[in-house]
Amino acid sequence: MDPEHREELIVEVVQRVLDRQARDDRSAEQALFDTLYHERRRLEHHPDEHGSEASFYDRIYSEATKAAPGRHRELLRKVLQQFANEVDGHFDRRVYAMATKAVPVALNVLLNTLSPLRLVETIQARLAGSADVVDDIGLAGQIEISGHTEQVKRLARIGTTILVPTHSSNLDSVLIGFALHQLGLPPYTYGAGLNLFANPVVGFFIGHLGAYTVDRRKTAPTYKDLLKTYAGATMETGYHNLFFPGGTRGRSGAVEHKLKLGLLGMGLNAYINNLLAGRRRPDIFVVPATINYQLVLEAETLIDDHLKATGKSRYIIEDDEFSRPRRILDFMTKLFSLHSKIDIVVSRPMDVFGNPVDDEGRSLDPKGRIIDRSRYVLTNDVIGHEPQRDREYTRELARSVGEAFHRDTLIKSTNLVSYAAFQALKHKNPKTGLYRLLRSSTERSVSVKDLYRHMEQTHHRVLDLAQAGRVRIDDTVRSQDTVAIVGEALAHLGSYHSNPAIVRKANRILYPDPKLVLYYGNRLSGFGLDDLEA
Amino acid sequence: MMIDHDKSQPRHQYGKTGGADRGYDRDLTVVGGGSFGTALASLAAGNDKKVIMWVRRPEQAAEISEQHTNERYLPGHDLPGDLQATSDMERAVRASRTVIVAIPSKSFRAVTSMLGEYLTGDQVVVHSTKGLELNTHRRMSEILTEETCAKKIGALSGPNLAKEIMGGDPAGCLVASRFAEVRHSLQVIYGGSRFRLYSGHDVVGTEIAGAFKNIVALACGAAHGMGFGQNTVSLLITRGLSEMTRFGLTMGANVFTFGGLAGVGDLVATCTSPLSRNHKVGVRLGKGEPLAEILDSMTQVAEGVPTVAAVQQFAKQRHLNLPIVNGVHALVHEAMKPNDVMRLLMSIPVGQELAVLPHG
Repeated sequence: MDPEHREELIVEVVQRVLDRQARDDRSAEQALFDTLYHERRRLEHHPDEHGSEASFYDRIYSEATKAAPGRHRELLRKVLQQFANEVDGHFDRRVYAMATKAVPVALNVLLNTLSPLRLVETIQARLAGSADVVDDIGLAGQIEISGHTEQVKRLARIGTTILVPTHSSNLDSVLIGFALHQLGLPPYTYGAGLNLFANPVVGFFIGHLGAYTVDRRKTAPTYKDLLKTYAGATMETGYHNLFFPGGTRGRSGAVEHKLKLGLLGMGLNAYINNLLAGRRRPDIFVVPATINYQLVLEAETLIDDHLKATGKSRYIIEDDEFSRPRRILDFMTKLFSLHSKIDIVVSRPMDVFGNPVDDEGRSLDPKGRIIDRSRYVLTNDVIGHEPQRDREYTRELARSVGEAFHRDTLIKSTNLVSYAAFQALKHKNPKTGLYRLLRSSTERSVSVKDLYRHMEQTHHRVLDLAQAGRVRIDDTVRSQDTVAIVGEALAHLGSYHSNPAIVRKANRILYPDPKLVLYYGNRLSGFGLDDLEA
Repeated sequence: MMIDHDKSQPRHQYGKTGGADRGYDRDLTVVGGGSFGTALASLAAGNDKKVIMWVRRPEQAAEISEQHTNERYLPGHDLPGDLQATSDMERAVRASRTVIVAIPSKSFRAVTSMLGEYLTGDQVVVHSTKGLELNTHRRMSEILTEETCAKKIGALSGPNLAKEIMGGDPAGCLVASRFAEVRHSLQVIYGGSRFRLYSGHDVVGTEIAGAFKNIVALACGAAHGMGFGQNTVSLLITRGLSEMTRFGLTMGANVFTFGGLAGVGDLVATCTSPLSRNHKVGVRLGKGEPLAEILDSMTQVAEGVPTVAAVQQFAKQRHLNLPIVNGVHALVHEAMKPNDVMRLLMSIPVGQELAVLPHG
């Protein structure tokens, strides 16, 4: 991709935001001062190292206070230009173009750096001259990719795809990058939070894998608008996009059901713009995916945050397990030694209205009849944007994505056993509120028999759900009995975390960290198992 | 003429104008030739709109188009001269951007499935059916979503006794949809007529209110049939509204909907008017006539009869206590004697009257 193209993209993005935010002198002035307020306040709390940002905004502010009404728009343009450059800063299109080949190497080096043992194995294998060694070692053995992969590959050739996975760990983007390579898909453009760069190793790779930068400390509405517009513009230009519609990593452990509509809606926006521009390949396809872990790297931090006085959870977490390479190494080592698989399930692709599409990218109605999706955006026979209508369409899309998330969630032994273990604990302490149960559980325990009883009930129901196609289950959950499933879960839940979630002592199950039990069990909430809850 | 429909191709290929060649030549299509469907079509036609109706039987289509009557459902009423009807679903659906579906809940899915063959994404679909699907407990808008590609969907509900509308009495109704375009389309069609359309967003509440009021109408009819006066009817209406609201809230409805035209408005009309079909069935039940005999003698559907079964099933699953629903169910489907039902209802322990309302 030539640098000229980048210029064009930025100019277009800035102009679109300006047209929306500064329709007249008055709104331009308001948007400018509002942005300056947010930015200067951010710099008060998080001063930039060189002071260059602060002096930039001081200069603009000083000019703005003296400026004649017509001038505010130009000053706002300068600020937006600055935002756009920052956002686009890490997105190196040359790297994007050649990353198809670079991704697997990069990721394996990354993981091998984290695991000295793997590194040795890689070197040995290389010395022995094994072909495709890069793919066979490291992640490939740990990650299982299933679902509608072939269809997505086809659709990526005939249109632009937007991959929208569930989000529970900062490792997700790395794993998705790897999965894309495994599938033979090009890297996807995505907005990586600045906090991802806190991990020096991962930050390096993320910065060079098609990521643009999202600074969540920037709270100005103009900045958020610019981010969305930027993503939309890359979709129109044909870049496949990746973002997590849940917004941030799920804190509770449950499958996300409240999705952010802003970015999701940019798919429809881009589709309409493509139709208006008469592009040859106007189609945008949305591909939900689930990432399913037996253990989650940051589980302790996430559930802690979730339980902190409801509604006050931190949007930005910079000091979690992910920022500590040693912790990632421990995590990976545990996964390798437990032969634990991470499952990525690719859902059936859909159009920007939430209708399923077939292999040729044609939209289908609920009865499988082929429909012309472009008719959804007609008003009086003319294609166009209708903000109110389009918001409702996006809500429909979000509903379809949320349903796909649930249908394609893969339940593992840690989820099943944690759910049952938490129910057993609640059942034994029927009058104790949730927070007290979580706080003072060091002396709490249930009998193994009780756990098995709750397990059998839950297992039975989950098998029924899987049979009905409402959820997926892994091999252990599908084919093993209660004792084996509990055994596998205990091996996981008792090994990686600072404190084991649950442990077995003789005929008792103890709860050293009940919050983790809640976290892993929450994966099963939202599947209508409420009647099992005591 | 039958159009050969190649299933492997989209029904319309987009071009720059999105296949705008479709050229709708009517303002409104009404699917269903029952009394309310015919009344809605006539009102629009009388309001200078071009309207086509779809009816199942070709003879009925011919009667409406040529003799301008619908004797079976609206005996004694003349229909507007330019109101056309057809039994060809494709022709009817392709004629207008706006489609109203007025089909009894029992056959709603089958008919909308046919509709789904021809609908396209730009069309607005509003239904006026006041019922829930038995066994699935689906609302009609959910069935439309499951059977067709339509997304711009709405529900029309309110106090609208077809015969009064045909008689030219002023009336009002609620059109609820999340899409502004849907609300606007209907208001344009009926704007300036004697049929005022108010608009709202709460599709769930509107549909629940419409379905539920028929159950209360059966109860009020039975009370009348048993010779009770207005005190009893008022008691049933008020407590019926409370049950309706409680039921609606568990389905995600907005509490305010039940205080409006589609809620209390429709409830008052249906429960007090001798024109209401459900009320009529209730009166006969109250006099001790068996249900089968009553239904055999009717040409039209009393939606409350299947709806009470659907609502009772659903309420049971959700552990909701709805005494009037249970009473009407016992009367209609369990052959309990009217006096026994009334005794049962009156023996329920009293509680707080406004306990249903959410308070801050």
